[in-house]
Amino acid sequence: MGFKLLPIEWVTTNYVELLSDNTSTPLLRWFLNSLVISVSHTLLVLTVVSLSAFAYSRLEFKGKKMLFSFLMGTMMFPAVVNLIPLYKIIDTLDWVNSPLAMIVPGAASVFNIFLVRQFMSNIPIEFDEAARIDGANDFQIFSKIILPLIKPVLLVVSLFAFTGSWNDFLWPSIVFSDIEKMPITPGLQLLQGMYQSQPTLLMAGAFVAIVPTFVLYLFAQKYFLESMSLSSGVKG
Amino acid sequence: MKAVTGVNKLTKKTSSINITPWLFIGPHLLIFLIFFLVPIGFGIYISFTEWDLISQPDFVGLANYKEILFNHDSIFYEQFQTGLKNTFLFVLFAVPFCILVPLFLATALHAKPKFWKIFQSLFYMPSLFAISAVVIIWKLMFDVTYGPINHLFQLNTLWLRNQPYAWVSLVIVTVWWTIGGNMVIYQAALNGIPKDYYEAADIDGASGMQKFLKITLPSMKSQILYTVVLTTISQFNVYGQPLMLTGGGPTNSTRVLLMNIQQNAFGSGQSIAGIASAMAIILGVCIMAVASLQFFFLRDKK
Amino acid sequence: MKKMSRLLLILGTLGLVVSLFAGCGNSTKKTGAGGSKNEITFWNPFTGPDGKNMQAMIDAYNKTNPEYKIKNVSLKETDMYTKIPTVVNSKKNIPDVTIVHAERLKQYKDNHMLTAYDDYLSDYPKMTGENYVTEAWNIGNIENKRYSIPLDIHTFGLYYNKDLVEKYLPNALDDQIVTFDEIKEVGEKAQKENIASLGVSWVKPNYLSLYAQNGGELSKDGTTPTLDNAAGKKTYKLWNNYVKEGYTTKDGEDATQLFLTGKVVFLPEGIWMQNQIKQSKINWGLTNAPQLSADLSQAVNWSSSHQFVLFNSKERNKAKTKGVIDFIDWVRDHSMEWAKSGQNPASLSILENEEYKKMPQAIFLLDPEEQKTLKIFDYKYNGYVSEYLEAHGVDTIFGTESIDDSLVNMQKEVTDKIAKDKTNNE
Repeated sequence: MGFKLLPIEWVTTNYVELLSDNTSTPLLRWFLNSLVISVSHTLLVLTVVSLSAFAYSRLEFKGKKMLFSFLMGTMMFPAVVNLIPLYKIIDTLDWVNSPLAMIVPGAASVFNIFLVRQFMSNIPIEFDEAARIDGANDFQIFSKIILPLIKPVLLVVSLFAFTGSWNDFLWPSIVFSDIEKMPITPGLQLLQGMYQSQPTLLMAGAFVAIVPTFVLYLFAQKYFLESMSLSSGVKG
Repeated sequence: MKAVTGVNKLTKKTSSINITPWLFIGPHLLIFLIFFLVPIGFGIYISFTEWDLISQPDFVGLANYKEILFNHDSIFYEQFQTGLKNTFLFVLFAVPFCILVPLFLATALHAKPKFWKIFQSLFYMPSLFAISAVVIIWKLMFDVTYGPINHLFQLNTLWLRNQPYAWVSLVIVTVWWTIGGNMVIYQAALNGIPKDYYEAADIDGASGMQKFLKITLPSMKSQILYTVVLTTISQFNVYGQPLMLTGGGPTNSTRVLLMNIQQNAFGSGQSIAGIASAMAIILGVCIMAVASLQFFFLRDKK
Repeated sequence: MKKMSRLLLILGTLGLVVSLFAGCGNSTKKTGAGGSKNEITFWNPFTGPDGKNMQAMIDAYNKTNPEYKIKNVSLKETDMYTKIPTVVNSKKNIPDVTIVHAERLKQYKDNHMLTAYDDYLSDYPKMTGENYVTEAWNIGNIENKRYSIPLDIHTFGLYYNKDLVEKYLPNALDDQIVTFDEIKEVGEKAQKENIASLGVSWVKPNYLSLYAQNGGELSKDGTTPTLDNAAGKKTYKLWNNYVKEGYTTKDGEDATQLFLTGKVVFLPEGIWMQNQIKQSKINWGLTNAPQLSADLSQAVNWSSSHQFVLFNSKERNKAKTKGVIDFIDWVRDHSMEWAKSGQNPASLSILENEEYKKMPQAIFLLDPEEQKTLKIFDYKYNGYVSEYLEAHGVDTIFGTESIDDSLVNMQKEVTDKIAKDKTNNE
């Protein structure tokens, strides 16, 4: 037997098998669920992250440094044993089997704030000062000056947030029990047998699963590679 | 309308007690508090108990920490020692490549060679796969009998069952899987460097290498700091690759700490969550220590 | 004015996020996580092809218009076992009935997680020991209470390549038992042609089956492990020796792949692997796992069993519990579909089915003497033993880890882990 990476035969038969079964593996449904979850999660992350990164990078307030170090520090603890308390919180909020259980908790991450803050630190503080002299307040500086400048990195953040929530599989299988409500990644795991190893079917599924993230990437790369020219930011 | 005037009053006050920053960080802090701080607090509490996940946790004080750190006869001491050692080794082997390879690729792509867009997509694609798919692909690649790697190089290497090949395999898979993330960050950073810096250097007759070292790298400093710290943290959390590729073997040499933590907490036997939690906390402290060192050496010394 | 509009924009975004919280929160309440009243939530670890067979059974049952319909929730095995303590801990959304592996029962029972069936069984005259495979039925009886009812008993047997057996040792299968001596005999002839007599497959069942044949027990009193002993040494030594002599597949080789391409004569594997074996072009058969003795009464075949259990739940009232047992009782009489997945149903009524009798795995059930060879390793801490064997078994068989070290450390690891279990002190 020679080695074949992608024999045409299995590709077609596996996709047919994947797409034809609608009751136990509602692929389209999972796909839509994932889309709703990942898009909402990304929007939430963008809002929360850009706001906080601005404050941690450019505003002065008491305990700023300490607070940020504290946030970063706690983020370094592996979250293995937190599964049960986190589930209890989700349960108390009545979010079991709700997409919210996947949309909100991930937005607690500090890493994206750190990333955006690092990018902001490259923008000269003079920009803010000039605007402040013109009478702009913090919200205006944030929305008019900084936001347009950090668009490329926000696209990177969107990409990470979207892919991260799209690929998560342990957490969704803990919080969802309804097959119809599952997102696609844990859904696809149901195709893989308990004992039978079917690498071919799983690979077919894996390729289906990356289509939206890949499309998002293709769309995003056009923009985040656009040069973020600092001078145009000042004019605008 | 009432709400708006209310808010307006609020901002007027800000100048005196400065609550504006808190409005900016408030939404994140709230989510962080509920969905991260509370659970991690519970995790820390659990590390001081004996718990099987089901009944009430029994408070045992520092017993778990003592057992893991000082009781040489205990299996958990041994688990922790080998697990932590292997985790550090993995971080040491993998992180440099996880930084340098994407940095090299991003720089190469930035010069916009032919077909760069296609290459860029190809380099990015692996990071979109879930880990289980990554492992399936590479298990095939490393197969002794049918694997294309041995076939291509006319080798007979048992990649996943011998050292140092097992480490080499794990690093290759990890780098392949994670190129995309750091590459994208570097690309965004490279695009942020004003063109006139280079034009000025051109006038001075600087070579390509000089430009890279004198202009490119310093301009990307904050992003490189970010990626170094973040890559280190995420590689400390390595789990899926050794679990599914080497199974921790040969003879436990790639058994990383997170595999032991996971098995103690959610293994096939009765859960030993107290010990697992204590191990996780100590691992967290180690990560913090390493990350702080990196901050110290890489921060902008102005 | 501009100031205000910016502020509005930001607050608007925040408001949107907040309303998203609230909105979705409400909609969840309506759909309710507990499921509708006349529905039984059924968790099981059957995914892939097995999952389809289970779904077909559930569909057939629901078509009989039972008072309570079954809602199938198939979960990936590892995820299900992580989810169980999480959900039981929160006391809500507990499944009405769950399939778990037999090895987990004692643990769950000792943690007071299970509801017994005893109060209900008098209404089901056929749900008794004589209608099930004994080994699978007895496992659910703990301290004189019935905590589980078996779905199947799945055995780790031996696949063989008929053509190669014909070539090297034509009479090896006359008695349906392939002894280790016969494997050795085949090995000596086959290795000259670069064919492995024995595939080194999943170590755990291979080890445990031979360990039991050597007279080994995992524990004498049910709690303290007895793992470092002569039986263990004999077991590893035999495998070790076969590796050294070149009768087996080599370290790192994928024994199943090699078997499927006709490079291995004997492959010990589970009956559940049939679907994969069927896809190859080789001429294969299925029989007892390798044995030391050709005497069937001495034979041991490692087995496990999927069992229906009821995790304690306030939401499951008497009527619903009866609904659950109605379903299990129906499965007892309609398990042909499950046999199609390659498994052996635990209900003996399957033996009357002509189609089943022709299936390869039927060998383990047809003869009552065969049924006695099936052994479930139900030591309460079997999970810790498995974890150790999974991590060190391959290394020990291939000699990268010494047998003595491996056994001493297994005894130590299991003992240390057990010391953390409070349920022993009660």
